Amino acid sequence: MSLFALLLLPFAGSLLTAVLPTRARTALAACAGLVAAVAAARVVSLYPQIRDGGVIRETVSWVPSLGLDLTLRVDGFAWMFALLVTVIGALVCLYARYYMSPDDPVARFYAFFLAFMGAMLGVVFSGNLVQLVVFWELTSVVSFLLIGYWHHHVDARRGARMALTVTGAGGLALLGGVLVLGHIVGSYDLDVVLGSGALIRSHALYPVALVLVVVGALTKSAQFPFHFWLPRAMAAPTPVSAYLHSATMVKAGVFLLARLWPVLSGTEWWFWLLCGAGASTLLLGAFIAMFQNDLKRVLAFSTISHLGLITLLFGLNSPLAAVAGVFHIMNHATFKASLFMAAGIVDHETGTRDIRRLNGLMRSMPRTGTLALVASGAMAGVPLLNGFLSKEMFFAEAVFLTAHPTVEVGLPLLATLAGVFAVVYSLRFGYEIFFGEPSTDLPRHPEEPPGWMLKPVELLVVACLVVGVAPSISIGPLLAAAARPVVGGDLPEYHLAVWHGFGAPLVMSLLAIVGGVVGYLWLRSHQRSGRLNETPFFERFNGRRLFESGLVTATRLARRALRLVSSRRLQAQMFTIIGVAILLALLAARGVPLVWGDRERLPASHEFVLLWVIGMVCAVGAAVMAKFHRLVATTLMGGAGLVTALTFLWFSAPDLALTQLVVEVVTTILFLLGLRWLPMRLHDPSRRTTMRDRVRRGRDLLLAVGAGAGLAALSYALLTRPAPQSISPFFLDRALPEGGGTNVVNVMLVDFRAFDTIGEITVLGAVALTVYALLRRFRPPAESIGRPQQQRVLPSDVVTDLVKPRATGERAGGYMMVPATIARLLLPFSFVVAAHFLLRGHNEPGGGFVAGLVVAIAYLTQYVFSGTRWAEGRAHLLPPRWIAVGLLLAATTGLGAVAVGYPFLTSHTAHFTLPLVGEVHLPSAMFFDLGVFAVVVGATLLILTALAHQSIRAHRPPAPNKRTEAS
Amino acid sequence: MSLWAEVAVAVLLVSSGLFVLVSALGFARLPDFFLRMHPPALAYTVGSWCVSFAGALYFSLLEGRLALHPLLVIAALGVTVPVTTLLLARVALFRRRAAGAPDTPPPLTPPRAP
Repeated sequence: MSLFALLLLPFAGSLLTAVLPTRARTALAACAGLVAAVAAARVVSLYPQIRDGGVIRETVSWVPSLGLDLTLRVDGFAWMFALLVTVIGALVCLYARYYMSPDDPVARFYAFFLAFMGAMLGVVFSGNLVQLVVFWELTSVVSFLLIGYWHHHVDARRGARMALTVTGAGGLALLGGVLVLGHIVGSYDLDVVLGSGALIRSHALYPVALVLVVVGALTKSAQFPFHFWLPRAMAAPTPVSAYLHSATMVKAGVFLLARLWPVLSGTEWWFWLLCGAGASTLLLGAFIAMFQNDLKRVLAFSTISHLGLITLLFGLNSPLAAVAGVFHIMNHATFKASLFMAAGIVDHETGTRDIRRLNGLMRSMPRTGTLALVASGAMAGVPLLNGFLSKEMFFAEAVFLTAHPTVEVGLPLLATLAGVFAVVYSLRFGYEIFFGEPSTDLPRHPEEPPGWMLKPVELLVVACLVVGVAPSISIGPLLAAAARPVVGGDLPEYHLAVWHGFGAPLVMSLLAIVGGVVGYLWLRSHQRSGRLNETPFFERFNGRRLFESGLVTATRLARRALRLVSSRRLQAQMFTIIGVAILLALLAARGVPLVWGDRERLPASHEFVLLWVIGMVCAVGAAVMAKFHRLVATTLMGGAGLVTALTFLWFSAPDLALTQLVVEVVTTILFLLGLRWLPMRLHDPSRRTTMRDRVRRGRDLLLAVGAGAGLAALSYALLTRPAPQSISPFFLDRALPEGGGTNVVNVMLVDFRAFDTIGEITVLGAVALTVYALLRRFRPPAESIGRPQQQRVLPSDVVTDLVKPRATGERAGGYMMVPATIARLLLPFSFVVAAHFLLRGHNEPGGGFVAGLVVAIAYLTQYVFSGTRWAEGRAHLLPPRWIAVGLLLAATTGLGAVAVGYPFLTSHTAHFTLPLVGEVHLPSAMFFDLGVFAVVVGATLLILTALAHQSIRAHRPPAPNKRTEAS
Repeated sequence: MSLWAEVAVAVLLVSSGLFVLVSALGFARLPDFFLRMHPPALAYTVGSWCVSFAGALYFSLLEGRLALHPLLVIAALGVTVPVTTLLLARVALFRRRAAGAPDTPPPLTPPRAP
């Protein structure tokens, strides 16, 4: 399996789980777990290749002309991360099988979960910085979906939005940073960038790139001052927290810091930025964690604090510290994932996560208790567990650092203090809920969870123990492989062991543990007596409040800016658009004299001139009537359209004429449906025309005449010139011999430029669905909610010969009887006409587009005469399905050519003889045209019926506007 | 083409013109909406029939094969004319009743609650 296959595997699994039955918990978990396990096995099998500093690279050229390639690159560090992502992913899949309730739609969960795994693998495997940012943003988006999984909870929605905003904004900053880096180095390739550290650090733009990259990393890893989103993200299901918010996604930030460590580190900027953020996060997170009462929030703040520790380690500019950072990434992932799972088990079995209510659970769930205790020991840094080792390395680095004197004294103190806090919150998590008098008022009677639910926790805790007891045998080689690329190839001298002799780091560890126990006892007595129930000092400083007020301010400013530059009045918008268009056209035409060409003129015929006079009268009439008589205006517009269609016919463009004709019909129906929702406009004779009105009208008239006359002059100037050399002779020459059809327009649409057509029908389908979606939320203005005047003349339940069919129980009776009967008879004939157009389209005027509109109009006629309910009660039209079938048909026809070895959408014509019919000429473009036909039918019906449905919907008057009332 | 055929086509065309003229005159001169509705519906349709027949006859004889597609016009008019006429009449009736005009024809069935 190549690296690309490995990367695609989780995404494929995501698609597969998305289509499985939504509540098939076991099948889904098995599927997702299997995908994760296979990926993990594949990652493990890569180990020999990267063990001694080897790098695996795979490249697929994507847009070679732009220098864009997809590059996957795995070295020891990426390998270690991939191992964490896949192994913990597999364990979490198993855990989630038992955690998720049977009522949850778990298919969605596993689909997102696997997509996240793929995105994360994409981040760690990226061998190109821009590609890394793309996957980085993908993790943000998928994590948004996962945090908001229980989207009926308001805090899940808010938490998801906040996480997306913060990490997404950080991703934007990162993109900027990456672009600057690429500008400095001249390449986005990771290998090239990693090899030009000295160049980058000495460049003038280095601080810019550094700050942007660091902002990206800090937001992702929830570092101060961006830490506030992580506790809110705890609204996610616990498996998500265990996976994303302890082991993988939040580690992406520190992953990036480690990835670029050889390039960016070693400067004062790096030191102060990262140590500042890391140290304050380490202390702040640990401090706040002590005072949390929600199990998951304790873990969230502890995660923030540990990530701060890792950031600090990378910021120290010392290779040994960087190794310690890598080591702590691994250790933290193991114990924190197991702790999250344990917290989830406690929540699942007792029904609460409140530390104050949970007591003495060791009696009822001894296995969970033991595991949680060991894992929280690792979190606190107790000897013989893995957390102790990396913490010890940190203490050693803090003591032996050479820097400014205040840092030299302050950092060990800060480290010890953070250690004390860590012990306190670990005790609160591990000791307080499992020991003491068993609590009696729990929502559920606690008992041990199913054995398989504990298995992942057991595995992770065993890993903590093994690493803690025998580090050099178990983790030593892996750590060496993972840390070597981070420090640039040469590992510093270090020694993994539990016992380093009696020195300052050990003293600090002991101090931390003793101080932590004392602090815990002090805190507990204070909390029991009711003091210290909130976080001191920091309660007031609330990142969430800042974030939300920031959002509100941004919205308000945007609204104000919008009010400044835009208008809700249609007239003003139209005026601006047309005015600017004229201005631009005049600017472009500056210096070009307007002269008519010398192409030979056709003699004018009387009939044609008369036709155009009629058309012009219709057009001007429509404009005059548009103000007070919209129906008349619509009718006159239809007349103008008809004249246009006849003009096309006159100049031998029957295809255009046919299309124009049917489009005209559909447009008129659309207008008529829309007219219902425009408020009536009455002429008020008492209102006198003021001077201002006259000026405004004059101005508008000038604009209208200017635009119209300008366009006319431009058209005339162009039409009187000889046609420029274009590609149209090409189409005319090749249509029959190469496209196999005599109708050049149709051959162009379905053969020469079929790729354009596929794009167009896709857009058509998308537009139809969008219109449908928008109309679902349609709220008419208050004055047009009531039934129209014509329907109010008679009470709707009175039976007379005047009643609309709607009121007679939808029997299509009443005065619509005759038209409805005729329209019904017309339906089959319309199908025949459509089939005729469709079949002959390749050689004669016609084609899928016209045929589709004919069928759509035939159905719409049923709606018009028999009423929406009647029509839909009898014909199950399902327009979205028409669209889907059409798009599939068109795409399949195109892919058929690929299957037999020709470029996409190559057409082939089959000739064979049928009895009775004679010789049949069947191009494959015919099926493509059939796809166009289906999309046109679906899109037209969807848009128009969506609008028609508004008339039978019950519309409520809008609620009184709170904002205007308040102000 | 024989003279008789030419005469037949000419007679059809001229009578069609006459029918349309009558229809237009009636449309302009008749005093009442309901009366005015008839000429475009009846006389005009007959005029169109005459043109269609003339076309079918002329092209059949000229090209020596049956050219019946002008007759499609007759079929199409058979669909559209009754529908438009009926709808127009209904609209006029509706408006007059709603306005309470005195010379409105009474409903065929008196209004009743269901």
